[in-house]
Amino acid sequence: MSVNVFIIDDDESVCRALKALLMTYDFEVRTFNSAQNFFDTVAHDDPGCLLLDIHMPGLDGWEVQKRVLASGSDRPVIFISAEKKDDATDRALKAGAVGFLQKPVNGQTLVDLINGIKD
Amino acid sequence: MKKKIITSKKKKAMASLLKKKTRDCLEEKVRQQTDELKIRDGQLKRGADREKLGADREKIAQEQIHIRTKAMESASDGIFIIDAKKPDFPIIYANPAFYGLTGYSKKEVIGQNYFLLYGPNADMHVLDEIKQIISQGRSFYGELLKFRKNGEKFWSLLRIAPVRDTKGNVTHYVGIKTDTTLMKQRNLEIEEQREELLHVTRVGKLAEFVSSLAHEISQPLTAILSYAQAGQRMLKDREPRLREILQYIINDDQRAAEVIRRLRSLLKKNKPAFEPLDINALTNDTVTLIMPHITAKNKIIKLELGSGLPMIQGDRIQLQQVLLNLISNSLEAMEDSKDSHELLIRTSLRDADTVMVQVKDSGCGIPQENMKKLFAHFFTSKPDGLGMGLSISRSIVEAHGGHLEAENNPDRGATFYFTIPVNRDNKL
Repeated sequence: MSVNVFIIDDDESVCRALKALLMTYDFEVRTFNSAQNFFDTVAHDDPGCLLLDIHMPGLDGWEVQKRVLASGSDRPVIFISAEKKDDATDRALKAGAVGFLQKPVNGQTLVDLINGIKD
Repeated sequence: MKKKIITSKKKKAMASLLKKKTRDCLEEKVRQQTDELKIRDGQLKRGADREKLGADREKIAQEQIHIRTKAMESASDGIFIIDAKKPDFPIIYANPAFYGLTGYSKKEVIGQNYFLLYGPNADMHVLDEIKQIISQGRSFYGELLKFRKNGEKFWSLLRIAPVRDTKGNVTHYVGIKTDTTLMKQRNLEIEEQREELLHVTRVGKLAEFVSSLAHEISQPLTAILSYAQAGQRMLKDREPRLREILQYIINDDQRAAEVIRRLRSLLKKNKPAFEPLDINALTNDTVTLIMPHITAKNKIIKLELGSGLPMIQGDRIQLQQVLLNLISNSLEAMEDSKDSHELLIRTSLRDADTVMVQVKDSGCGIPQENMKKLFAHFFTSKPDGLGMGLSISRSIVEAHGGHLEAENNPDRGATFYFTIPVNRDNKL
Protein backbone atom coordinates (compact mmCIF):
# COMPACT_ATOMS: atom_id res chain seq x y z
CA MET A 1 0.00 0.00 0.00
CA SER A 2 1.37 3.43 -0.96
CA VAL A 3 2.13 6.13 1.61
CA ASN A 4 -0.11 9.23 1.81
CA VAL A 5 1.48 12.68 1.65
CA PHE A 6 -0.49 15.85 2.28
CA ILE A 7 0.97 19.18 1.13
CA ILE A 8 -0.18 22.57 2.42
CA ASP A 9 1.28 25.55 0.57
CA ASP A 10 -0.47 28.74 -0.51
CA ASP A 11 1.47 28.69 -3.79
CA GLU A 12 -0.45 26.56 -6.25
CA SER A 13 2.54 25.95 -8.49
CA VAL A 14 4.66 24.70 -5.59
CA CYS A 15 1.88 22.27 -4.66
CA ARG A 16 1.52 20.98 -8.22
CA ALA A 17 5.28 20.53 -8.72
CA LEU A 18 5.88 18.74 -5.41
CA LYS A 19 2.94 16.52 -6.14
CA ALA A 20 4.31 15.65 -9.59
CA LEU A 21 7.69 14.85 -8.09
CA LEU A 22 6.45 12.76 -5.18
CA MET A 23 4.12 10.80 -7.46
CA THR A 24 7.14 9.56 -9.39
CA TYR A 25 8.17 7.95 -6.10
CA ASP A 26 4.74 6.30 -5.92
CA PHE A 27 3.40 8.35 -3.05
CA GLU A 28 -0.28 9.11 -2.81
CA VAL A 29 -0.33 12.93 -2.80
CA ARG A 30 -3.07 15.45 -1.98
CA THR A 31 -2.49 19.21 -1.98
CA PHE A 32 -4.19 22.09 -0.15
CA ASN A 33 -3.83 25.85 -0.68
CA SER A 34 -4.75 26.67 2.89
CA ALA A 35 -4.66 25.02 6.27
CA GLN A 36 -8.39 25.50 6.63
CA ASN A 37 -8.94 23.60 3.45
CA PHE A 38 -6.86 20.71 4.82
CA PHE A 39 -8.61 20.55 8.18
CA ASP A 40 -12.00 20.66 6.46
CA THR A 41 -11.15 17.72 4.16
CA VAL A 42 -8.81 15.40 6.01
CA ALA A 43 -9.81 13.62 9.21
CA HIS A 44 -7.25 13.76 11.95
CA ASP A 45 -6.80 10.00 11.95
CA ASP A 46 -6.38 9.69 8.16
CA PRO A 47 -2.90 8.19 7.85
CA GLY A 48 -0.23 10.18 6.01
CA CYS A 49 2.50 12.71 6.59
CA LEU A 50 2.17 16.45 6.16
CA LEU A 51 4.45 18.79 4.20
CA LEU A 52 3.85 22.20 5.67
CA ASP A 53 4.82 25.63 4.35
CA ILE A 54 5.51 28.15 7.11
CA HIS A 55 4.69 31.51 5.53
CA MET A 56 1.03 31.48 4.68
CA PRO A 57 -1.79 33.96 5.09
CA GLY A 58 -4.24 32.98 7.79
CA LEU A 59 -2.88 30.14 9.90
CA ASP A 60 0.88 29.89 9.47
CA GLY A 61 2.83 26.61 9.52
CA TRP A 62 3.67 26.73 13.22
CA GLU A 63 0.04 27.22 14.21
CA VAL A 64 -1.12 24.47 11.87
CA GLN A 65 1.28 22.03 13.46
CA LYS A 66 0.08 23.01 16.93
CA ARG A 67 -3.47 22.33 15.83
CA VAL A 68 -2.51 18.96 14.38
CA LEU A 69 -0.96 17.98 17.71
CA ALA A 70 -3.89 19.37 19.67
CA SER A 71 -6.32 17.27 17.67
CA GLY A 72 -4.63 14.18 19.10
CA SER A 73 -3.25 13.20 15.70
CA ASP A 74 0.17 11.54 15.51
CA ARG A 75 0.62 12.72 11.92
CA PRO A 76 4.30 13.32 11.08
CA VAL A 77 4.98 16.88 9.96
CA ILE A 78 7.81 18.20 7.75
CA PHE A 79 8.23 21.97 7.54
CA ILE A 80 9.35 23.49 4.26
CA SER A 81 10.10 27.19 4.08
CA ALA A 82 11.94 29.65 1.88
CA GLU A 83 13.33 31.41 4.90
CA LYS A 84 15.67 29.54 7.14
CA LYS A 85 16.36 31.13 10.46
CA ASP A 86 19.32 29.75 12.38
CA ASP A 87 17.20 27.98 14.94
CA ALA A 88 14.48 26.81 12.54
CA THR A 89 15.47 23.13 12.51
CA ASP A 90 15.77 23.06 16.30
CA ARG A 91 12.48 24.82 16.70
CA ALA A 92 10.79 22.42 14.29
CA LEU A 93 12.13 19.33 16.06
CA LYS A 94 11.26 20.73 19.47
CA ALA A 95 7.73 21.38 18.27
CA GLY A 96 7.52 17.67 17.46
CA ALA A 97 8.09 17.84 13.70
CA VAL A 98 10.09 15.31 11.75
CA GLY A 99 12.27 17.87 10.02
CA PHE A 100 12.77 21.23 8.37
CA LEU A 101 13.73 21.71 4.74
CA GLN A 102 14.60 24.95 3.03
CA LYS A 103 13.06 25.77 -0.34
CA PRO A 104 13.85 24.93 -3.04
CA VAL A 105 13.66 21.36 -1.78
CA ASN A 106 15.83 18.69 -3.33
CA GLY A 107 13.58 15.74 -4.26
CA GLN A 108 15.81 12.94 -2.99
CA THR A 109 16.36 14.66 0.38
CA LEU A 110 12.64 15.05 0.84
CA VAL A 111 11.89 11.47 -0.15
CA ASP A 112 14.58 10.14 2.19
CA LEU A 113 13.06 12.12 5.03
CA ILE A 114 9.55 10.80 4.29
CA ASN A 115 10.78 7.23 3.97
CA GLY A 116 12.66 7.58 7.24
CA ILE A 117 9.38 8.20 9.07
CA LYS A 118 8.07 4.72 8.43
CA ASP A 119 10.80 3.09 10.48
CA MET B 1 -1.10 117.68 33.50
CA LYS B 2 2.52 118.25 34.32
CA LYS B 3 2.96 114.61 35.00
CA LYS B 4 1.80 113.75 31.50
CA ILE B 5 4.34 115.99 29.84
CA ILE B 6 7.10 114.40 31.81
CA THR B 7 5.85 111.00 30.78
CA SER B 8 6.05 111.78 27.08
CA LYS B 9 9.54 113.20 27.43
CA LYS B 10 10.48 110.23 29.43
CA LYS B 11 9.34 108.00 26.58
CA LYS B 12 11.57 109.81 24.17
CA ALA B 13 14.51 109.37 26.45
CA MET B 14 13.66 105.72 26.69
CA ALA B 15 13.26 105.23 22.97
CA SER B 16 16.71 106.50 22.24
CA LEU B 17 18.13 104.25 24.88
CA LEU B 18 16.30 101.20 23.63
CA LYS B 19 18.50 101.25 20.58
CA LYS B 20 21.28 100.18 22.84
CA LYS B 21 19.29 97.02 23.50
CA THR B 22 18.31 95.28 26.69
CA ARG B 23 19.75 97.38 29.39
CA ASP B 24 16.71 97.48 31.57
CA CYS B 25 18.44 98.45 34.77
CA LEU B 26 20.29 101.18 33.09
CA GLU B 27 17.13 102.56 31.57
CA GLU B 28 15.35 102.58 34.85
CA LYS B 29 18.13 104.52 36.47
CA VAL B 30 18.40 106.99 33.64
CA ARG B 31 14.67 107.49 33.66
CA GLN B 32 14.65 108.30 37.33
CA GLN B 33 17.53 110.65 36.88
CA THR B 34 15.94 112.33 33.91
CA ASP B 35 12.73 112.82 35.83
CA GLU B 36 14.65 114.28 38.71
CA LEU B 37 16.51 116.54 36.39
CA LYS B 38 13.41 117.83 34.75
CA ILE B 39 11.74 118.59 38.01
CA ARG B 40 14.74 120.49 39.16
CA ASP B 41 15.02 122.16 35.81
CA GLY B 42 11.54 123.53 36.34
CA GLN B 43 12.41 124.82 39.76
CA LEU B 44 15.55 126.48 38.49
CA LYS B 45 13.77 128.28 35.70
CA ARG B 46 12.61 130.71 38.29
CA GLY B 47 16.19 131.94 38.60
CA ALA B 48 17.69 129.40 40.94
CA ASP B 49 21.26 128.22 40.96
CA ARG B 50 22.21 127.27 37.39
CA GLU B 51 25.66 126.19 38.34
CA LYS B 52 24.30 123.44 40.50
CA LEU B 53 22.34 122.13 37.53
CA GLY B 54 25.47 122.00 35.44
CA ALA B 55 27.26 120.03 38.11
CA ASP B 56 24.33 117.63 38.45
CA ARG B 57 24.22 117.08 34.71
CA GLU B 58 27.90 116.41 34.68
CA LYS B 59 27.55 113.91 37.48
CA ILE B 60 24.69 112.07 35.79
CA ALA B 61 26.51 111.97 32.47
CA GLN B 62 29.55 110.52 34.24
CA GLU B 63 27.41 107.89 35.87
CA GLN B 64 25.84 106.90 32.57
CA ILE B 65 29.22 106.51 30.97
CA HIS B 66 30.35 104.46 33.93
CA ILE B 67 27.39 102.10 33.74
CA ARG B 68 27.75 101.62 29.98
CA THR B 69 31.44 100.97 30.27
CA LYS B 70 30.83 98.46 33.07
CA ALA B 71 28.18 96.73 30.98
CA MET B 72 30.56 96.39 28.03
CA GLU B 73 33.31 95.10 30.29
CA SER B 74 30.97 92.50 31.77
CA ALA B 75 29.56 91.22 28.46
CA SER B 76 30.45 87.65 27.59
CA ASP B 77 30.69 88.45 23.87
CA GLY B 78 33.81 90.11 22.55
CA ILE B 79 33.07 93.80 21.88
CA PHE B 80 35.46 96.16 20.09
CA ILE B 81 35.44 99.62 18.59
CA ILE B 82 37.39 100.67 15.50
CA ASP B 83 38.24 104.26 14.56
CA ALA B 84 36.66 104.73 11.15
CA LYS B 85 38.41 108.00 10.38
CA LYS B 86 41.80 106.36 10.11
CA PRO B 87 42.55 104.24 7.05
CA ASP B 88 44.09 101.24 8.81
CA PHE B 89 41.13 100.31 11.02
CA PRO B 90 42.82 100.79 14.42
CA ILE B 91 41.08 99.32 17.43
CA ILE B 92 40.50 101.95 20.09
CA TYR B 93 38.62 99.79 22.57
CA ALA B 94 38.12 96.12 23.29
CA ASN B 95 36.39 94.50 26.26
CA PRO B 96 37.94 91.71 28.37
CA ALA B 97 35.91 89.01 26.60
CA PHE B 98 37.55 90.10 23.34
CA TYR B 99 41.01 89.50 24.81
CA GLY B 100 39.88 86.15 26.17
CA LEU B 101 38.47 85.12 22.82
CA THR B 102 41.40 86.15 20.64
CA GLY B 103 44.19 85.42 23.08
CA TYR B 104 45.78 88.82 22.46
CA SER B 105 46.67 91.25 25.25
CA LYS B 106 45.48 94.82 25.51
CA LYS B 107 48.88 96.06 24.41
CA GLU B 108 48.75 93.99 21.27
CA VAL B 109 45.23 95.08 20.42
CA ILE B 110 44.82 98.79 21.09
CA GLY B 111 45.96 100.87 18.09
CA GLN B 112 46.42 97.73 16.04
CA ASN B 113 44.77 97.26 12.63
CA TYR B 114 41.76 95.08 13.40
CA PHE B 115 42.20 92.88 10.36
CA LEU B 116 45.81 92.07 11.19
CA LEU B 117 44.55 90.28 14.28
CA TYR B 118 43.13 87.62 12.01
CA GLY B 119 46.64 86.23 11.59
CA PRO B 120 48.45 85.04 8.49
CA ASN B 121 46.10 82.08 7.90
CA ALA B 122 42.99 84.21 7.50
CA ASP B 123 40.94 84.11 4.33
CA MET B 124 41.87 87.37 2.62
CA HIS B 125 38.76 87.35 0.42
CA VAL B 126 36.51 87.40 3.43
CA LEU B 127 38.51 90.17 5.10
CA ASP B 128 38.34 92.29 1.93
CA GLU B 129 34.61 91.71 1.82
CA ILE B 130 34.19 92.87 5.41
CA LYS B 131 36.34 95.95 4.79
CA GLN B 132 34.36 96.82 1.71
CA ILE B 133 31.02 96.43 3.42
CA ILE B 134 31.85 98.51 6.45
CA SER B 135 33.63 101.17 4.38
CA GLN B 136 30.32 101.71 2.59
CA GLY B 137 28.68 102.36 5.94
CA ARG B 138 26.81 99.06 5.92
CA SER B 139 26.69 96.39 8.61
CA PHE B 140 28.45 93.06 8.34
CA TYR B 141 27.02 89.83 9.71
CA GLY B 142 28.66 86.48 9.28
CA GLU B 143 30.22 83.39 10.76
CA LEU B 144 33.95 82.94 10.18
CA LEU B 145 36.66 80.50 11.05
CA LYS B 146 39.24 82.43 13.05
CA PHE B 147 42.52 81.83 14.78
CA ARG B 148 43.51 82.70 18.30
CA LYS B 149 46.97 84.10 18.93
CA ASN B 150 48.24 80.59 19.62
CA GLY B 151 46.94 79.41 16.26
CA GLU B 152 43.93 77.56 17.68
CA LYS B 153 40.92 77.63 15.37
CA PHE B 154 37.52 78.81 16.50
CA TRP B 155 34.23 79.73 14.90
CA SER B 156 33.18 83.31 15.42
CA LEU B 157 29.84 84.91 14.75
CA LEU B 158 30.85 88.45 13.83
CA ARG B 159 28.67 91.53 13.60
CA ILE B 160 30.15 94.93 12.75
CA ALA B 161 27.98 98.05 12.56
CA PRO B 162 28.84 101.67 11.75
CA VAL B 163 28.58 104.31 14.49
CA ARG B 164 27.55 107.72 13.15
CA ASP B 165 27.84 111.24 14.51
CA THR B 166 24.94 113.69 14.53
CA LYS B 167 25.62 114.61 10.91
CA GLY B 168 25.43 111.00 9.85
CA ASN B 169 29.12 110.56 9.17
CA VAL B 170 30.60 107.23 10.16
CA THR B 171 33.06 107.87 12.95
CA HIS B 172 33.54 104.38 14.37
CA TYR B 173 32.66 100.77 13.85
CA VAL B 174 31.40 98.68 16.72
CA GLY B 175 31.91 94.96 16.51
CA ILE B 176 30.64 91.98 18.48
CA LYS B 177 32.08 88.52 18.16
CA THR B 178 30.67 85.35 19.69
CA ASP B 179 32.45 82.03 19.95
CA THR B 180 30.13 79.51 18.24
CA THR B 181 32.56 76.59 18.20
CA LEU B 182 30.68 74.54 20.81
CA MET B 183 27.37 75.21 19.13
CA LYS B 184 28.82 74.10 15.80
CA GLN B 185 30.19 70.97 17.35
CA ARG B 186 26.86 70.11 18.89
CA ASN B 187 25.12 70.64 15.55
CA LEU B 188 27.68 68.41 13.90
CA GLU B 189 27.06 65.69 16.47
CA ILE B 190 23.34 65.89 15.91
CA GLU B 191 23.93 65.71 12.17
CA GLU B 192 26.08 62.60 12.60
CA GLN B 193 23.49 60.89 14.80
CA ARG B 194 20.83 61.65 12.24
CA GLU B 195 22.99 60.19 9.48
CA GLU B 196 23.59 57.05 11.53
CA LEU B 197 19.90 56.61 12.10
CA LEU B 198 19.08 57.20 8.45
CA HIS B 199 21.67 54.63 7.51
CA VAL B 200 20.17 52.06 9.85
CA THR B 201 16.74 52.83 8.46
CA ARG B 202 17.95 52.42 4.89
CA VAL B 203 19.68 49.14 5.67
CA GLY B 204 16.58 47.97 7.54
CA LYS B 205 14.37 48.80 4.57
CA LEU B 206 16.73 47.04 2.20
CA ALA B 207 16.89 43.94 4.38
CA GLU B 208 13.11 43.79 4.63
CA PHE B 209 12.80 44.35 0.91
CA VAL B 210 15.31 41.62 0.06
CA SER B 211 13.63 39.25 2.48
CA SER B 212 10.23 39.74 0.85
CA LEU B 213 11.75 39.48 -2.60
CA ALA B 214 13.69 36.33 -1.66
CA HIS B 215 10.51 34.68 -0.45
CA GLU B 216 8.65 35.55 -3.64
CA ILE B 217 11.45 34.17 -5.83
CA SER B 218 11.99 31.04 -3.75
CA GLN B 219 8.46 29.85 -4.49
CA PRO B 220 8.85 29.55 -8.27
CA LEU B 221 12.37 28.19 -7.81
CA THR B 222 10.90 25.43 -5.62
CA ALA B 223 8.35 24.61 -8.26
CA ILE B 224 10.89 24.63 -11.11
CA LEU B 225 13.24 22.30 -9.23
CA SER B 226 10.49 19.85 -8.38
CA TYR B 227 9.09 19.85 -11.93
CA ALA B 228 12.53 19.22 -13.39
CA GLN B 229 13.32 16.45 -10.93
CA ALA B 230 9.92 14.89 -11.56
CA GLY B 231 10.60 15.03 -15.32
CA GLN B 232 13.94 13.33 -14.90
CA ARG B 233 12.43 10.51 -12.94
CA MET B 234 9.58 10.09 -15.44
CA LEU B 235 12.11 9.66 -18.23
CA LYS B 236 14.00 7.01 -16.28
CA ASP B 237 16.51 5.63 -18.82
CA ARG B 238 14.93 7.16 -21.88
CA GLU B 239 15.88 10.39 -23.72
CA PRO B 240 19.39 10.88 -22.30
CA ARG B 241 19.72 14.35 -23.96
CA LEU B 242 16.47 15.57 -22.52
CA ARG B 243 17.54 14.25 -19.12
CA GLU B 244 20.76 16.19 -19.48
CA ILE B 245 18.85 19.38 -20.23
CA LEU B 246 16.66 18.81 -17.18
CA GLN B 247 19.83 18.42 -15.14
CA TYR B 248 21.01 21.85 -16.38
CA ILE B 249 17.70 23.34 -15.29
CA ILE B 250 18.16 21.75 -11.87
CA ASN B 251 21.73 23.05 -11.57
CA ASP B 252 20.79 26.60 -12.51
CA ASP B 253 17.80 26.55 -10.20
CA GLN B 254 20.07 25.61 -7.35
CA ARG B 255 22.52 28.30 -8.39
CA ALA B 256 19.78 30.92 -8.22
CA ALA B 257 18.68 29.59 -4.84
CA GLU B 258 22.25 29.89 -3.58
CA VAL B 259 22.46 33.53 -4.70
CA ILE B 260 19.32 34.29 -2.76
CA ARG B 261 20.56 32.42 0.28
CA ARG B 262 23.78 34.45 0.26
CA LEU B 263 21.98 37.72 -0.27
CA ARG B 264 19.73 36.92 2.64
CA SER B 265 22.58 36.10 5.00
CA LEU B 266 24.41 39.24 3.89
CA LEU B 267 21.52 41.39 5.00
CA LYS B 268 20.66 39.39 8.04
CA LYS B 269 19.37 41.84 10.58
CA ASN B 270 21.77 42.65 13.34
CA LYS B 271 20.56 41.23 16.58
CA PRO B 272 18.93 44.09 18.46
CA ALA B 273 21.14 45.36 21.27
CA PHE B 274 18.81 45.43 24.25
CA GLU B 275 19.67 47.76 27.10
CA PRO B 276 17.70 49.56 29.81
CA LEU B 277 16.24 52.73 28.28
CA ASP B 278 14.49 55.83 29.55
CA ILE B 279 11.69 56.34 27.06
CA ASN B 280 11.53 60.09 27.75
CA ALA B 281 15.23 60.59 27.09
CA LEU B 282 14.87 58.54 23.93
CA THR B 283 11.92 60.68 22.82
CA ASN B 284 13.83 63.89 23.51
CA ASP B 285 16.86 62.67 21.58
CA THR B 286 14.74 61.69 18.62
CA VAL B 287 12.91 65.00 18.55
CA THR B 288 16.24 66.82 18.62
CA LEU B 289 17.27 64.89 15.55
CA ILE B 290 14.21 65.74 13.54
CA MET B 291 13.73 69.29 14.90
CA PRO B 292 15.28 71.09 11.89
CA HIS B 293 12.91 69.18 9.63
CA ILE B 294 9.93 70.17 11.76
CA THR B 295 10.95 73.82 11.84
CA ALA B 296 11.54 73.83 8.09
CA LYS B 297 8.00 72.54 7.56
CA ASN B 298 6.67 75.25 9.81
CA LYS B 299 5.19 72.77 12.27
CA ILE B 300 5.22 72.70 16.04
CA ILE B 301 6.00 69.67 18.13
CA LYS B 302 4.56 69.37 21.64
CA LEU B 303 5.88 66.90 24.16
CA GLU B 304 3.88 65.54 27.07
CA LEU B 305 6.34 63.27 28.79
CA GLY B 306 4.94 61.29 31.68
CA SER B 307 6.92 61.63 34.88
CA GLY B 308 8.39 58.75 36.84
CA LEU B 309 8.07 56.26 33.98
CA PRO B 310 9.90 52.98 34.61
CA MET B 311 12.81 51.94 32.42
CA ILE B 312 12.16 49.73 29.42
CA GLN B 313 14.40 47.13 27.85
CA GLY B 314 15.11 47.87 24.20
CA ASP B 315 17.35 48.72 21.28
CA ARG B 316 17.89 52.48 21.29
CA ILE B 317 18.57 52.88 17.56
CA GLN B 318 15.64 50.69 16.53
CA LEU B 319 13.14 52.42 18.78
CA GLN B 320 14.38 55.82 17.60
CA GLN B 321 13.84 54.54 14.10
CA VAL B 322 10.22 53.69 14.92
CA LEU B 323 9.58 57.07 16.52
CA LEU B 324 11.27 58.91 13.67
CA ASN B 325 9.16 57.02 11.18
CA LEU B 326 5.93 57.89 13.01
CA ILE B 327 6.92 61.55 13.32
CA SER B 328 7.81 61.90 9.66
CA ASN B 329 4.58 60.16 8.63
CA SER B 330 2.64 62.63 10.78
CA LEU B 331 4.49 65.55 9.24
CA GLU B 332 3.60 64.28 5.80
CA ALA B 333 -0.03 63.87 6.81
CA MET B 334 -0.07 67.55 7.81
CA GLU B 335 1.89 68.67 4.76
CA ASP B 336 -0.96 69.95 2.61
CA SER B 337 -3.08 71.35 5.37
CA LYS B 338 -2.47 75.01 6.10
CA ASP B 339 -4.27 75.12 9.43
CA SER B 340 -2.81 72.02 11.02
CA HIS B 341 0.54 72.63 12.61
CA GLU B 342 0.69 70.75 15.80
CA LEU B 343 2.20 67.39 16.45
CA LEU B 344 1.90 65.88 19.93
CA ILE B 345 4.09 63.19 21.39
CA ARG B 346 2.94 61.74 24.66
CA THR B 347 4.62 59.14 26.83
CA SER B 348 2.70 57.47 29.61
CA LEU B 349 2.27 54.36 31.69
CA ARG B 350 -0.59 52.38 30.18
CA ASP B 351 -0.62 49.89 32.96
CA ALA B 352 1.88 48.76 35.58
CA ASP B 353 3.79 46.66 33.04
CA THR B 354 3.51 48.72 29.88
CA VAL B 355 4.86 52.06 28.71
CA MET B 356 3.04 53.75 25.82
CA VAL B 357 4.23 56.32 23.28
CA GLN B 358 1.63 58.19 21.21
CA VAL B 359 2.26 60.35 18.17
CA LYS B 360 -0.80 62.45 17.45
CA ASP B 361 -1.16 64.68 14.41
CA SER B 362 -3.86 66.98 13.15
CA GLY B 363 -3.43 66.00 9.53
CA CYS B 364 -5.65 64.33 6.96
CA GLY B 365 -6.26 61.14 8.97
CA ILE B 366 -6.38 57.60 7.57
CA PRO B 367 -9.11 56.64 5.10
CA GLN B 368 -11.12 53.71 6.47
CA GLU B 369 -10.24 51.47 3.51
CA ASN B 370 -6.50 51.86 4.26
CA MET B 371 -6.76 51.02 7.95
CA LYS B 372 -6.36 47.26 7.46
CA LYS B 373 -3.48 47.42 5.00
CA LEU B 374 -1.58 50.10 6.88
CA PHE B 375 1.08 47.80 8.27
CA ALA B 376 1.40 45.46 5.28
CA HIS B 377 4.60 45.23 3.25
CA PHE B 378 4.68 47.45 0.18
CA PHE B 379 1.48 49.24 1.11
CA THR B 380 1.82 52.98 0.69
CA SER B 381 -0.45 55.95 0.14
CA LYS B 382 2.47 58.18 -0.87
CA PRO B 383 3.40 58.62 -4.51
CA ASP B 384 7.08 58.00 -3.81
CA GLY B 385 6.71 55.66 -0.84
CA LEU B 386 8.14 52.16 -0.66
CA GLY B 387 5.58 50.93 1.84
CA MET B 388 8.21 49.61 4.22
CA GLY B 389 8.26 52.18 7.04
CA LEU B 390 5.25 51.07 9.07
CA SER B 391 5.73 47.35 8.45
CA ILE B 392 9.33 47.58 9.68
CA SER B 393 8.24 49.71 12.62
CA ARG B 394 5.67 47.16 13.60
CA SER B 395 8.13 44.27 13.42
CA ILE B 396 10.61 46.25 15.55
CA VAL B 397 7.98 47.00 18.19
CA GLU B 398 6.82 43.37 18.18
CA ALA B 399 10.41 42.18 18.60
CA HIS B 400 10.36 44.29 21.77
CA GLY B 401 7.26 42.50 22.97
CA GLY B 402 4.97 45.45 22.26
CA HIS B 403 2.30 46.50 19.78
CA LEU B 404 2.05 49.27 17.19
CA GLU B 405 -1.43 50.48 16.34
CA ALA B 406 -3.15 53.40 14.64
CA GLU B 407 -6.48 55.11 14.98
CA ASN B 408 -8.17 58.24 13.73
CA ASN B 409 -8.76 60.99 16.25
CA PRO B 410 -12.37 61.93 17.03
CA ASP B 411 -11.83 65.47 15.72
CA ARG B 412 -9.13 65.31 13.07
CA GLY B 413 -5.87 63.61 12.20
CA ALA B 414 -4.60 60.27 13.42
CA THR B 415 -2.75 58.85 16.40
CA PHE B 416 -0.12 56.13 16.11
CA TYR B 417 0.89 54.52 19.35
CA PHE B 418 3.15 51.75 20.46
CA THR B 419 3.59 49.93 23.72
CA ILE B 420 6.75 48.45 25.22
CA PRO B 421 6.80 46.18 28.26
CA VAL B 422 8.49 47.57 31.35
CA ASN B 423 11.92 46.22 32.17
CA ARG B 424 11.06 44.21 35.26
CA ASP B 425 14.59 44.13 36.62
CA ASN B 426 14.72 47.90 36.83
CA LYS B 427 11.17 48.55 37.84
CA LEU B 428 10.75 51.43 40.23
